[in-house]
Amino acid sequence: MLTGNQQEPSISGNGEKLAVIIDQQGRSTVQLRNLRSGGRIPLRHLYRHQPHTSPSLSWNGRYLAIITQQGNRRLAVIEDLLTGQIHRLPLRAERQPISLKISPDARKIAFELINQGKWQVEIFDLTKILEPDLPSGITRTTRPLIRDE
Amino acid sequence: MILIPSIGLLKTVLIAVVVTSLSSCSRGNPIPIKSINNSLLRSANSHRNPSLGNEWLGTLALRDGRERIELINLLNGRQVPLPGLNRPDAQPISVSVNAYGDRIALIRQRGERTELLLYRRNLETIQFLDITPQGIPRHVSLNGTGRVLAIQVSRDGRWDVDIIQLPR
Repeated sequence: MLTGNQQEPSISGNGEKLAVIIDQQGRSTVQLRNLRSGGRIPLRHLYRHQPHTSPSLSWNGRYLAIITQQGNRRLAVIEDLLTGQIHRLPLRAERQPISLKISPDARKIAFELINQGKWQVEIFDLTKILEPDLPSGITRTTRPLIRDE
Repeated sequence: MILIPSIGLLKTVLIAVVVTSLSSCSRGNPIPIKSINNSLLRSANSHRNPSLGNEWLGTLALRDGRERIELINLLNGRQVPLPGLNRPDAQPISVSVNAYGDRIALIRQRGERTELLLYRRNLETIQFLDITPQGIPRHVSLNGTGRVLAIQVSRDGRWDVDIIQLPR
């Protein structure tokens, strides 16, 4: 049990990492923890643009998707903890993300949106942006090249 | 004595800063999966609280004035039956599906009680989960294998996060 005003927990696919929203000097800020060691995992980009809401982790916790505040807009971003890259995911102007979920394999993301006063869920393909985050031990192979002699 | 850096040195530093900032930022856009999104728009008055497995979407769908848990196979866009999970006397609050779509963790309000439960789709069984020490669950997150659960719990006026190991 983790005590002391922690909200919106998101556990990684392998169950080893946990993202939570904590109150840091009055600002809702994401914190990433290793559940095995209990230690905090530093984030390169996600220490500003608060309030943070709706954190979501991929299988190994390589990707942390979250909604941030940038200017007067809510903006979804994904931090890649392996490469240190930040991926910004802008939506059309009239659409503000309320919550999001990244799939465990990081191939898709679901947004909860309010569009013209109606709650909506939309799914987006991430395969052109992110490498998949698969359970360890799974290897991907290409089909052997067969030539006609 | 004041040291004035050469123009060449300033140029080098400036290029390094620009290259570093560009390499840490990507602006590729995600591509909407139109077939699924259109199907979601048509199938209910509204959808909220999405949860994603690898090929599964769990949501709370409002239809005929009632909110129900729905599980959609993203490979064919079809909703799959969840026998025994939705009850007319219960209001779902938070839902989370595992990577393979065979386990669903759920918080629902039934009368005065807020219940935390695990639904095994293959067995069509519901297992009620205890929260110890007692608290009121508000948000649930199930891991990919469906064996570990993180729950936001209201307890003694504060929000805690509990981690629960689930049986096979």
